[in-house]
Amino acid sequence: MKTAQISRRKFMQLTSVSGACLVVGCVPNSVGESIANLSAINPVGLNQFISIDNLGKVILYNHRPEMGQGVYQAIPMILAEELEVEIKQVEIRQSEADSKLYGDQRVVGSRTIRSEFEKMRKMGAAAKEMLTSAAAQKWKVNVRECSAKNGIVTHSSGKTLSYGELVEAASKLSAPENPTLKDPKDFKIIGQSIKRQDAPLKTNGSAKFGIDMQTPGMLYASIERSPVWLGKAISYDKDAALAINGVKHVLTTSRQVYGRKIEGVAVIADNYWAAFKGRQALNVVWDNKGLDKISSETIMQDFRQESQKKGDVLHEKGDAEAVFNNSNDIIVSSYELPYQSHVPMEPMNVIASVKENSAEYWGSTQNPNGMRSYLSKKYNIPPENVKINYTFMGGGFGRRSMTDILEEAADLSKQTGAPIKVVWTREDDQTQGPFRNCSLNVCRAVLDKDGNISALEHKVIAQEIGKQSGNDTKAGRQLMGGITTGYSIPNVAIRGVLQKRHVPISYWRAVYHSTNPFAHESFIDELATKAGKDPLAFRLAMLQDHPRFKRVLEEIARLTNWYDSKKAGIGRGLAMVERSGAHFAMVVEVANENNRVKPLRVTTIIDVGICVNPDIVRAQTEGSVVMGLTAAYGGLTVKEGRIVEQNFNSYPLVKFSECPEIVTHVLPGTAEPDGAGEAGLPTLAPALANAIFDLTGKRIRKMPMDLGGLV
Amino acid sequence: MASFSLKINGKIETVDVDPAMPLLWVIRDFIGLTGTKFGCGISQCGACTIHMDGKPVQSCVMPVSAAEGKVITTIEGISENNDHPVQLAWIDEQVPQCGYCQSGQVMTAVALLDKNPNPSEEEIDQAMNSALCRCGTYQRIKKAVLKASKS
Repeated sequence: MKTAQISRRKFMQLTSVSGACLVVGCVPNSVGESIANLSAINPVGLNQFISIDNLGKVILYNHRPEMGQGVYQAIPMILAEELEVEIKQVEIRQSEADSKLYGDQRVVGSRTIRSEFEKMRKMGAAAKEMLTSAAAQKWKVNVRECSAKNGIVTHSSGKTLSYGELVEAASKLSAPENPTLKDPKDFKIIGQSIKRQDAPLKTNGSAKFGIDMQTPGMLYASIERSPVWLGKAISYDKDAALAINGVKHVLTTSRQVYGRKIEGVAVIADNYWAAFKGRQALNVVWDNKGLDKISSETIMQDFRQESQKKGDVLHEKGDAEAVFNNSNDIIVSSYELPYQSHVPMEPMNVIASVKENSAEYWGSTQNPNGMRSYLSKKYNIPPENVKINYTFMGGGFGRRSMTDILEEAADLSKQTGAPIKVVWTREDDQTQGPFRNCSLNVCRAVLDKDGNISALEHKVIAQEIGKQSGNDTKAGRQLMGGITTGYSIPNVAIRGVLQKRHVPISYWRAVYHSTNPFAHESFIDELATKAGKDPLAFRLAMLQDHPRFKRVLEEIARLTNWYDSKKAGIGRGLAMVERSGAHFAMVVEVANENNRVKPLRVTTIIDVGICVNPDIVRAQTEGSVVMGLTAAYGGLTVKEGRIVEQNFNSYPLVKFSECPEIVTHVLPGTAEPDGAGEAGLPTLAPALANAIFDLTGKRIRKMPMDLGGLV
Repeated sequence: MASFSLKINGKIETVDVDPAMPLLWVIRDFIGLTGTKFGCGISQCGACTIHMDGKPVQSCVMPVSAAEGKVITTIEGISENNDHPVQLAWIDEQVPQCGYCQSGQVMTAVALLDKNPNPSEEEIDQAMNSALCRCGTYQRIKKAVLKASKS
């Protein structure tokens, strides 16, 4: 995926270009439509993020899609801080999708706050300086005698003008390129757990999601695709589908998933239910040409065979191989993880309308500008003629970063001449993927006479997202995500053995950080046990050169009273990981309840540098823990080339009563912000497995875990 | 196709649809109340929860023909100003993340508290287990239900 990169200089120049022309109301705004329009007359834009009306009401635009992660609140908080307004003066709206105005708008890899923090501060500070300069000009005084606070500019003589009174004049000034930023110790908004403005919209049904969108003349499509990926349609009963009341068309279509074509037969009707009923009547016969022999078992058998290969070096320090060659006491453990489904609660859906020289998109996406690029390139339509209407997302978790779901709708719109809304069933979401990869991890180590690790090798055998099609057989660094190389181990080798399968995979919350740490942090625990050392002290001794990890470990030891005498009947497990810059440590506590292991409490210490909104970071960690538990307890099974678990009755999500107590502490930090959207997920599985070992003496090396029969 | 008169949120709505069409799609696509969500289609996730004669019902498996003559309430109908005690508690505890399942969560909680104004934690567990949340907001939901039960 390529998006326009805007240099910082260019970005700041855009401030004056867009200046006064961005008036509220010009902006196509699916999310913001549901916010009551309380503004007075003529809000004036100071830049593409900030408009102020004559009564001083401040409208701040969030330009990154909201999928639950909280950018809708966090981006405006950063702007408001430097703009020097009170957060209660602020009304948040969603910006339009426009890479020229807003740069990269994708929400992936916990990047938003990390990549936007400084830019948003500058946008806020630039607008504040324009307002202050406008006041100075009106008063005919030196700007240095003026200061701004709470939406008011004050002169040293004591006279004041409100932002509402100044905005018109300020909008005519050019934006300063290097505005002065606040000292972080003076932050009043950043660092506060300010309540989310999207919360009220999400308690009364007024928040709009992609699936809620409609447009005049729209038809609904339900699409049957081969349950065995890459299967080809041989025959289907078009007449049976057309016989359903409301069905208008039966058409073939397709979409590309990482370079591979997935066929589908679409039933198009004037309502969703008729399209769905028509689809059930299709009775498509598929040619699955040998792919239907493949199962999870055969895949894992292949992976075990493949693990005999040396693999490609992804990271190396010292000479681990030499240590292994000279040792007769090599510790080896293998860990297996299954495919997983994203399961956003909002099933995939999209509306596309493709005309001769224009196109329009409606939907919930992590990548609105990617939707524009696709329609523009595919149908040779100028980008400015492609209108993008993006909404809140009912979960994304990586699945909504892809543009594949648009392809069928656009194709069907082109074929029929009508706007087409494609709605996936839950079964479509579950069985079509793309999925989180499955993997085999083989870890080897040698301990020296003092029980310290002298050599460690971690070999990952898995598919790689970027190399699913094509001839590249060399493993890339993507495969080693989440493997902590911060430990001071003299000889380390991280290796990858790249696998190619017909099962499509993609980005899933935390990506390879959701798989590799289960192996790595379980293995570190196994080595601590072998060395006869406390797992926390064992790790801490290897982190002299890593102050951030050291800090989170020391804090979690303190918070969980780790070194105090153990509570009877409670097993404790520890893990630590870095993801998107965030450093975190987790302790899971488990007990025996009716002969099953039950997680009681999950405690996380997280260092994300400067934290914009601690409560949102806590919420993200709570979500990561619950998602991690679901992935620990269940997974997808491939049988006869297809997924067995088709809906929640066979792929159960963790339920309300299964949620342990989740305690999250966000450490105060002064470093630039890190990404927090995936923190906590990578540590859950290893910390849980380590806790189970502590309670039962049994080592879990395969996911999904069965918590019965262990105690 | 057949004509049905439905009493939804105090109003009578008339639709001409397939009698087997689940109430969910009637409410969303024909009546235009989109707060009720599609999640699974097999009454396993609770995103489509509405009230029928005061009881929580999964509208994704309820044919429209079974809804005639019943009093139906959707998320849009539980308060005028987003000020039902459950909604206020939800906002206060900052429950929603993506928000997609929250209509169903709120409707499930409202039905529980209507029937049982002071539920025990076990009773909350039992009632709320029918509503799945992928964002993992359960801990906050529990606090919000307890808060609403005390208001």
